[in-house]
Amino acid sequence: MRLIPKDVESLWTLFTAPTVWALHFLACYVTAAVFCAKAGVAPFSFEAMRLALGVVTLVALSGIVLSAYLAWRQWGFGSGDPPHDEPTRKDRLLFQGFATLLLSGLSFVAVVFGAVPLLFIGACQP
Amino acid sequence: MTDLSSEDRTAQEARLREVWRTPSGWRYWTSVNNTEIGLWYGAAAFVFMLFAGVLALLVRVQLAVPGNDFLSADMFNQAFTLHGTVMMFLFAVPIFEAVAIFLLPSMLGARELPFPRLSAFGFWSFALGGVFVCGSIFFGAAPNTGWFMYPPLATDKEYSGIGADIWLLGLSFIEVASIAAAVELIVGIMKCRAPGMRINMMPLFAWYLLIVAGMILFAFPPLIAGDILFEMERMFDWPFFDAARGGDPLLWQHLFWIFGHPEVYIIFLPAIALMAMIVPTFAQRPIVGYSWIVLAAVGTGFLSFGLWVHHMFTTGLPQISLAFFSAASEAVAIPTGVQIFVFIATMLAGRVIFSVPMLFGAGGLAIFIIGGLTGVMVALVPFDWQAHDTYFIVAHLHYVLIGGMLFPIVAGIYYYYPLLDARKLSDRLGKIAFWLMFVGFNVAFFPMHLAGLRGMPRRVFTYPADIGWDWFNLISTIGAFIFASGVTLVVIDVLRPKHRQPKGEQNPWNSGTLEWISEPEEKWGVRSIPIITSRYPIWDQPSLIEDIKAGRGYLPDAKDGARETLVTSVLDAKPIQCLRVGGTSILTIVAAFSLGGVFIALTFHWWITTIVCAIMTLAAIIAWLWTGTAVIPKEEMRDVGLGETLPLYTSGPQSVGWWAMFITMAGDGTAYASLMFGYFFYWTIHEDFTAGHAGPGMLWPLTAAGLFTLAWAAMLAARWVNETDRRGLTRLTLAVAMLLTLAACCAGLAGPYLTSMDPTVHVYPAIVWVVALWTVVHGGVAIIMQLYCLARNLAGRMSARHDMDLRNVVLYWHFLVITAITSFGVLGLFPGSR
Amino acid sequence: MRKIGAGAGLPLARRRMRAISLKVSPSGARSISRRALPILLIPLSGCTGAQSALDPAGEEAAAVFQLFLVMVVGGALIWIAVVGLLIHAGRRRETPWSAEKAGRLIAWGGVAFPVVVLLALLAYAVWLMPAIRPWLARVAPAPETIEVTGEQFWWRIRYPASDGMPGFETANELRLPVGTRTAFSLKAADVIHSFWIPALGGKMDMIPGRTNMLSLEPTRTGLFRAPCAEFCGTSHTLMAFSVVVMEPDDYATWRRAQAGGNRPGTGEGKRLFAYHGCAGCHGVRGVTGPATLGPDLTFFGQRQTVGAGTLANTAQNVARFIRDPGAVKPGAKMPAFDMLPEKDIAAIATYLVGLQ
Repeated sequence: MRLIPKDVESLWTLFTAPTVWALHFLACYVTAAVFCAKAGVAPFSFEAMRLALGVVTLVALSGIVLSAYLAWRQWGFGSGDPPHDEPTRKDRLLFQGFATLLLSGLSFVAVVFGAVPLLFIGACQP
Repeated sequence: MTDLSSEDRTAQEARLREVWRTPSGWRYWTSVNNTEIGLWYGAAAFVFMLFAGVLALLVRVQLAVPGNDFLSADMFNQAFTLHGTVMMFLFAVPIFEAVAIFLLPSMLGARELPFPRLSAFGFWSFALGGVFVCGSIFFGAAPNTGWFMYPPLATDKEYSGIGADIWLLGLSFIEVASIAAAVELIVGIMKCRAPGMRINMMPLFAWYLLIVAGMILFAFPPLIAGDILFEMERMFDWPFFDAARGGDPLLWQHLFWIFGHPEVYIIFLPAIALMAMIVPTFAQRPIVGYSWIVLAAVGTGFLSFGLWVHHMFTTGLPQISLAFFSAASEAVAIPTGVQIFVFIATMLAGRVIFSVPMLFGAGGLAIFIIGGLTGVMVALVPFDWQAHDTYFIVAHLHYVLIGGMLFPIVAGIYYYYPLLDARKLSDRLGKIAFWLMFVGFNVAFFPMHLAGLRGMPRRVFTYPADIGWDWFNLISTIGAFIFASGVTLVVIDVLRPKHRQPKGEQNPWNSGTLEWISEPEEKWGVRSIPIITSRYPIWDQPSLIEDIKAGRGYLPDAKDGARETLVTSVLDAKPIQCLRVGGTSILTIVAAFSLGGVFIALTFHWWITTIVCAIMTLAAIIAWLWTGTAVIPKEEMRDVGLGETLPLYTSGPQSVGWWAMFITMAGDGTAYASLMFGYFFYWTIHEDFTAGHAGPGMLWPLTAAGLFTLAWAAMLAARWVNETDRRGLTRLTLAVAMLLTLAACCAGLAGPYLTSMDPTVHVYPAIVWVVALWTVVHGGVAIIMQLYCLARNLAGRMSARHDMDLRNVVLYWHFLVITAITSFGVLGLFPGSR
Repeated sequence: MRKIGAGAGLPLARRRMRAISLKVSPSGARSISRRALPILLIPLSGCTGAQSALDPAGEEAAAVFQLFLVMVVGGALIWIAVVGLLIHAGRRRETPWSAEKAGRLIAWGGVAFPVVVLLALLAYAVWLMPAIRPWLARVAPAPETIEVTGEQFWWRIRYPASDGMPGFETANELRLPVGTRTAFSLKAADVIHSFWIPALGGKMDMIPGRTNMLSLEPTRTGLFRAPCAEFCGTSHTLMAFSVVVMEPDDYATWRRAQAGGNRPGTGEGKRLFAYHGCAGCHGVRGVTGPATLGPDLTFFGQRQTVGAGTLANTAQNVARFIRDPGAVKPGAKMPAFDMLPEKDIAAIATYLVGLQ
């Protein structure tokens, strides 16, 4: 049984992984900005926030991996090579799968990049 | 399939020609045909570019030697402000709209984009706004605060005079045109492709433009929201950016750069899109890595919204915030690199014919790569702390924009010129122009990197003699003039009379994409709409051109005397509707000029003229909608040829109008979200955001939210009642909904009004008023729409089957009800009623 | 439209070695750039200048300069490789690459290589941020904080009280001890300005309604120039201050002199200064009350320039400035005093230059 049908008939699936990136980015930026602006008011420490954002990062990365898996499945697990330019519904689906897979890869890297600051910066200083 | 006799074909062609005819005489300017609008748009943008180029030369002359007094300080400040403003708003963005409007229909195999009158409206708005903004410098009244308009310098009326108003209002007007173009392009690309052109067959240009139009939709509205706050401060002294009264100049910087950074990619991607069309032609093979390009376009589109704070690295934000933006700014280099490698890979896998378009393309890439590398540098926070606001940045941004945008545009001009005139531009002049531009550019801008790191700040009108910048500046000025001579040569090549040159063939470069089927002298776009089975149909479908010309495709005729094109499904491009698009009309010009009148009158605070122009705009738009949209056709179905019969009228998500409303409201929602961002921004920067000022209370805001919800429910009921074909009851329901809306608007204003919140005292009452007003104004627009539906119903122009107007208005209401509940919920409940 | 006089040069750099109680000692320099590859310095030679980020004299500037060198070399190599490949790709070849091979080029050259390089670079730079701009609360010993306020178009500078000496105000010239971290509390009085001493480190904006903090540690003595780095109006160009980095002993002496004594000056100029109302805006400690509108002029004669980096500090130039500030510095807030008798202007100028 498949929870998500193999062939999702929508253009929107293409944007799944970048949307996860965007949400992760927003979560990190907004949390840090509000925490630092309201310094002293928040009931938790910078370290705790850092840890929480680390968890958010892991969640985001797993979401992207899931999106990548679904895309890989739609792409037939790499059974056919690009360019997927035949005038058939099948090739259109393979193209969507492949493009989504590539975007998942980029989004994964972008989320990893976005987590680098959490490793090195340990205070709100300007 | 049997072929038609030649008489029948001639008769078809005559009918088509008559329908798509461009009017002559002064009425020529009322044309809405995409080829005319595209050409005017492009020509106007180019003229603005030359004007801004002259300003740049004035700047360079002033800086050629230290202590120069060629320009006064104030004139210099006006010149560089206008140079940046015009290049960004009046050249870089509009030129891509121009190219897209010109090329897209034929590239997609469509007769027209779905809303040709909207394109015309956009063009006239742009032209009028542009002349207004540029003209100001001849009266010494140009904006002089830098193109980024930072308050409190730009809100200081004594310093900037009406220059800042001209900037804000003139450009808001042009932003309206850009959003109109975005709506047009998204719907056109999604819904108007030739049958068979599935999503994996779309020309890459269309992919890029789809992403760019989407970006415009989310990037421009924050600036419009910022403009509103800014003008409210300048006109009525509402202290959004005045620190003394709780405002904060940084909010403007956020809103400006949330627009400003995606803007760079909005400029850059369409130019790269041109490269993606040019490179395969001259490599004589399909592009290698079609999916990679899609990845790059979509990826850039997303990442570009996570970069804006890299313009604010020195504003004293926490390092952790800066670092997030630095990370995204590094990540965006990856899709950019992918695109460059796709072009190189395509060239390596093909047999390259080197030509003038390729020369400009490759030269542009060589320049752009330097800009990209310095971009990676300045995206790193520590380096930017030094480089920010120096000539290093001036060099960087010109390497990016001229290499990544101007050179590809010139490549595009040389490549696509035959579509205008069936003749090529001169190879010899092109090569000379290229070398002048390439060498001149590098001579002008490379030394600026060094001048900047040796401490030369931006926007200085002179500099001391012995600080070590003399030679750099002199060389830059010389380079600028060499570069300008190259640009002049391109202009000469385009404008020189070519009637002695023989007309060439239709597809001189042997390209494979569909835009090369269009014939310069015919206005119908495509003689008949073909079925597409390849990414490069001209290469792979041998009888394509012949079939098209013989009228063997869809819609080979115009029997009803209407301009028709096909609407197809988003993913697989199956024909679903025969769409009748608007023809020649003067209403678009009237609407654009009246709207322009509103903005211009506001600049000078001529309130009565403003109101008169606003009423004229409304009248023109309603006349335009009434006569030109949701027309009930005489017959339901239309034989479109090839044995297919399609409906002429659709409503709801099937129709292009519904999508246009959806997309417009997505942009509108973004502007609203930006205002709410402002609300919470003020909350974060203050310990007590209200500063002890009374809020609007809980009662009235929550009442307003409730009434808006009821009105929305009434609209849903009206749609349902209309579907059951009970006209009288529909009228009644609409009337009830209207009264509820009116009551909701009054309740919305009652909160801040009855608690006598004074918006000039502190930023808290000011932002409360703005949020309430924004929502109530949308309520007012809703009332106009309800009246319109009522009138359509009374006039018998709306029925159970033909309910497009009502459905679009209900869609508007979905957005409005979310806005209203958010606005009044937040105003009433956050940060706690008092 | 007003034009500025052709002779309005900014002669600071020429005079940067002018004798002041300043001992330039090379031993104070701990520039990281010395450790950088010498070969890189060849194209950058001649990068000296009182306002150059390529001639670091502070911790932050040195670290950033090193980052810059790494990136320039890397960037140049990448550019040569990619453009070389582009030129190669543009030539005719007998057998074109296969689509698979070309696809692999995209994957390796366009994706894998940039991902690795950018990640490394990002980590380096993000690690550097707290290293060069440490959290002030954790710096020991706590650095002294000087308050600098940007005003159209000059700099108000307030030194804090220390060692029992009172704090004092000065303008347009900052003196710092070498080898010690000093913090700056940065404010703006009217519009946004930006505080930037290129030789010592990066910039920090001065924003109305906000107080930004920055700390810098000079590593060698010298005279440097610091321009306003955010466009702030008509004379944004003519808004700079001088930075004198001194040996700690000299610095201490100077601090004592500033905080303790004052040099009231003598002569007719002193009387005219008060008589013509100059004291309404400008303060001279010990002579007038504290004035808030314009720059403090207490030890004016010690300063390098008149008009915040506009003209060399000579009696002639001071007189010229008093006569019509707008002529040498368009948009300056100080009104013209050309209605005063010429000899009064000269006397006031002489008096001011004498405030050593």
